[in-house]
Amino acid sequence: MATDARILPLTRPAPRGILRSLLLTLPIFIWSPLMMGFRPGAKFDPVSTTAAAITALFMTVLFYIMMRTNSTYRWRRIFFVSLGILFPIGFIHNLYVMRGSMGIPIEEMIAGRTPFCFMPIPLLILPAAFTRTVIFPGSIASSSHGIAAMVGLWLALTLVMGKGWCSYACFFGGIEEGVAAIPPRAKIRKLDPRLRYIPWAVLLAMVLLSLALFEPAYCMWLCPFKAVSEYVAARNTVGLVQNVIFILLFAGLVIVLPFLTKKRTQCSWFCPFGAFQSIFNKISIFEMRIDKERCKPCLVCQNACPNLSLSKESVARGETLLSCMKCGACVDACPRQAIVWHIKGTQIAWKPERARLMFLYAAWAMAIMFGGSIIAQGIITILHVFV
Amino acid sequence: MKLRPILGYTAAGATVLVALLTPFFLYDFFSKGVVALPLHVDEVYSGGPTVRTIPMGAYSINVHRPVYPHMLQSEKPFVQLDWQPVSALPQHISDVVDIDGDGQPGVRVSFDVPRDPKAPLHVDVDSLNPRYESMHHAGKEKYSRLIVRVDNVILVRVPLVR
Repeated sequence: MATDARILPLTRPAPRGILRSLLLTLPIFIWSPLMMGFRPGAKFDPVSTTAAAITALFMTVLFYIMMRTNSTYRWRRIFFVSLGILFPIGFIHNLYVMRGSMGIPIEEMIAGRTPFCFMPIPLLILPAAFTRTVIFPGSIASSSHGIAAMVGLWLALTLVMGKGWCSYACFFGGIEEGVAAIPPRAKIRKLDPRLRYIPWAVLLAMVLLSLALFEPAYCMWLCPFKAVSEYVAARNTVGLVQNVIFILLFAGLVIVLPFLTKKRTQCSWFCPFGAFQSIFNKISIFEMRIDKERCKPCLVCQNACPNLSLSKESVARGETLLSCMKCGACVDACPRQAIVWHIKGTQIAWKPERARLMFLYAAWAMAIMFGGSIIAQGIITILHVFV
Repeated sequence: MKLRPILGYTAAGATVLVALLTPFFLYDFFSKGVVALPLHVDEVYSGGPTVRTIPMGAYSINVHRPVYPHMLQSEKPFVQLDWQPVSALPQHISDVVDIDGDGQPGVRVSFDVPRDPKAPLHVDVDSLNPRYESMHHAGKEKYSRLIVRVDNVILVRVPLVR
C-alpha cells in the first residue's frame, strides 16, 4: 500500500469552518424535530413539547460540535451518559406511577405486561427455535414495550450500527460510562487481557441455562441493571437472593470498577448481550482500522478504549477486536492519526472523514430516534416532578 | 475505481438509507415480521389456551389446558381456572369444578373475593381426584400454585400430581 502521509496530515486537523459545520449539521437539524414528534397536526402539550424541543436541540448541538471539532468520543459520551441517567429516571417514575413499585408482581407477568428489554434477545433464540416458545413473561404483539417491537427495533439498529448499539443505543451503558468519566486517572491500570473472554463464557452459559431452565437466566439471576429498572418482586427467599445479587453486581461492575479502571467493566467483562452483539460487527460495513505504516505502537489507543477492544496483537494487525463499539475514543486519542474510521472494501486511511460522516449520520439518526425519545421521557419526568 | 471500494461505498450508502427508513417503514416491517413468526409466550406465564367454559349463573369458570413445564423448569405441571367477571362474583366462592370434563368432580375451590382489587388473595383447593394436588391458604408463591387477580379475572392454578 502506498504511504498514507500524502493522504492524512500527521497533526490533528484544524476545526472545520462554522458554515461548513452548519451545513453538515443541517440533515440532523431537520431529522431531530421530526423524530421528536414535531410534525404537522401533532398534538400540543406544553411539557412534552418542551422536553422534545430540549432533546432535539441537545442532539443537534452535539452533532454540530462533532462536525466542528472533528472529534467524536467526548460529545457522543455527553449524549450517552445523559441517556444512562435519564432512562432510569423516566422508567422508574413510570413504574411508580403505574404500580407503586419497581418490583414486578406475578400478576403483571401472567398478564404479559412485563416491558421487554433487549438484554434477553440472545437467550430467547434457542427455546424459540426448538419449541416455538418465547421464554419471557411479556406480550409478543403489544405495541409498546412488546417483544416484537423491541426485536424489530434491535434488528434495524443492528443492521445500521453492528456493535455500535453499545455506544449509541444501550441505555444501560451510559451509566458506567458516566461513572468511568469521573476520576481523572485510572486507579487500576493493569487489566488481565483474558478478562475480555468472560462475556463470551457468560453468553454461552446463559444461552444454555435459559434453554434448560426455560427462563431468561441472565435476567432472573445476573443482570446488574435490574437495580435501576425492574426486578421480580421478592415473593420468597429465592427472590430476595436474586435482588441482592442484582444490587451487588450493579455496585461492583457499574459503579466501583468503572470508577477504579475508567473502563466500562460490565460491558467488557460480563455483558452477554454485548458479546452477542459483537458478532454483528462482522456484517457491519463500518469499522475502525489502524494504519500500520503510521502507527508507532505507543498504545495510547489501548488505554483510551473503554471496552478493552484493542490489544497489542490487534494493533499490530491493524484492526480492533470484534468487540469494538465504534465509540471513537481510540481515533480521538491517537496522537498520529493512525486510527481511522473505515468502510470495508475501501483503502485504509483514504478519506476517513467520509467514512466517519457516513457512520455518524446513520448512528446519530438512530440515536435520536431511540435514545432521543428516552431522553425526552426523562426530561418530561423531571419537568413533572420538579416544575 | 475498483469493484471493492464501489461495493463498500454502496453498502455504506445503503446503511444510511436503512437508518432513514427505519422509523417510517423498517421498524414496523421488522416488528410485524416477528409477530408473524409462529411463536407463543411460554404457557407457564400465560396459562395456556382455554379449553372449556363452565357457566355458573352470573359468572363463569374458564378451564385451561394443563401446562407441563419444560426440561429443568422449576415448576410443577398445573391447570389454570379463571373466575370471571370479578364484578359478578359473590363475596365467597366455593365451587366444585370438573376440570377434565368427564362428569366427575375434580377439585373444590374456595376463596374470598375482597372488594379491594389490591387486597391479597388466598385459596383452598381440596382434591376430589388423585390427579390434582390440594392447596391450603395458597397465595402466589409459584407459577404452578397461586391465586391472583388480573384485571377482571381471578385465576387459580392447581398443581397436578406428577
